[in-house]
Amino acid sequence: MRHNFCPLGSLIFSVFKTLTDQQVTVELKNDLSITGVLKSVDQFLNIRLDSIKVLDEARHPHMMAVKNCFIRGSVVRYVQLPSEHVDTQLLEDATRRGAPT
Amino acid sequence: MKPLGSVRLGWLCCLLFALDTMLPLSLLNAAQNKPMLVELKNGETFNGHLVNCDNFMNITLREVYQTNSEGDRFWKLKECYIRGSTIKYLRVPDALLDAVKEEQNRARDAGRGARGSFVSGGGNRGRGAISRGSRLPSLFCV
Amino acid sequence: MSSLQGYVDRRVLLILQDGRVIVGVMAGFDQKSNVVLSDSKERIYSIDEGVEEIPLGLYLVKGDMIVLIGELDDAVEQAVDLATIHAEPIPPIRY
Repeated sequence: MRHNFCPLGSLIFSVFKTLTDQQVTVELKNDLSITGVLKSVDQFLNIRLDSIKVLDEARHPHMMAVKNCFIRGSVVRYVQLPSEHVDTQLLEDATRRGAPT
Repeated sequence: MKPLGSVRLGWLCCLLFALDTMLPLSLLNAAQNKPMLVELKNGETFNGHLVNCDNFMNITLREVYQTNSEGDRFWKLKECYIRGSTIKYLRVPDALLDAVKEEQNRARDAGRGARGSFVSGGGNRGRGAISRGSRLPSLFCV
Repeated sequence: MSSLQGYVDRRVLLILQDGRVIVGVMAGFDQKSNVVLSDSKERIYSIDEGVEEIPLGLYLVKGDMIVLIGELDDAVEQAVDLATIHAEPIPPIRY
């Protein structure tokens, strides 16, 4: 629930919400990388991905039969975003406004 | 997002959960006096009968066999307390699933009869969430 | 946190923080993403042998141990012979 009270936490949450239905790549803290269509995100930055594909599938056949998944926000290391869909100028301004002085 | 709004959202989420999902804590509550296996995050396992549990998943077991993470050393404990946050998973008897589902159906039917008008006024599609209202406050000990 | 709702009563695959892979039917969950799996089995992967499945039954997994929950496509599952799959286990998570 902490994110609700943290201005930057909810900012990133909002950014993710604007990226629904875009293709993203999520790198997990167990070194798995998964590409898929972002279907939803919640205040913990848990992520739902559709039409997923695991990078280096030959090495990681574990998820062959998985077409969509829920990823726990706490185990995400990076999310690669489609840069054309992120307004970095807007994000910078919002970050400055939201940052504690 | 305003704090007040998110508290309301939390309530709404809980109501929705209560509609048709079996809550892990309901299963655990139903497991009292039943045998279970608990593995901790450090790999130690505890086999025993559940005496009691709370909403943090803190539990007490009786007649416990403790095994170290390598699985080569054993201890017998008369009773033990396990802090919920150290638990990785619990294995419980298969029969509990049907027992909990039946109990939920009974509670829902009873609630529908007794407080149906209140339920439909609650804006939750009138599917009897309030029938389990006595359990809802327990969800807030996050 | 309504995003697990769609998985209830579906066959799912869970990846845990320690690298374990568990498949089962999602019987329920809560807002901390604690999950109840029925008819669950652990899948043990190794390079030298095919996948081994260990029956676990009714399982309650704490949310903080969960890395990923995926919905299994039954058609793909049935088309694959697990005994022929050789793969490294999934590594545990590192911070």
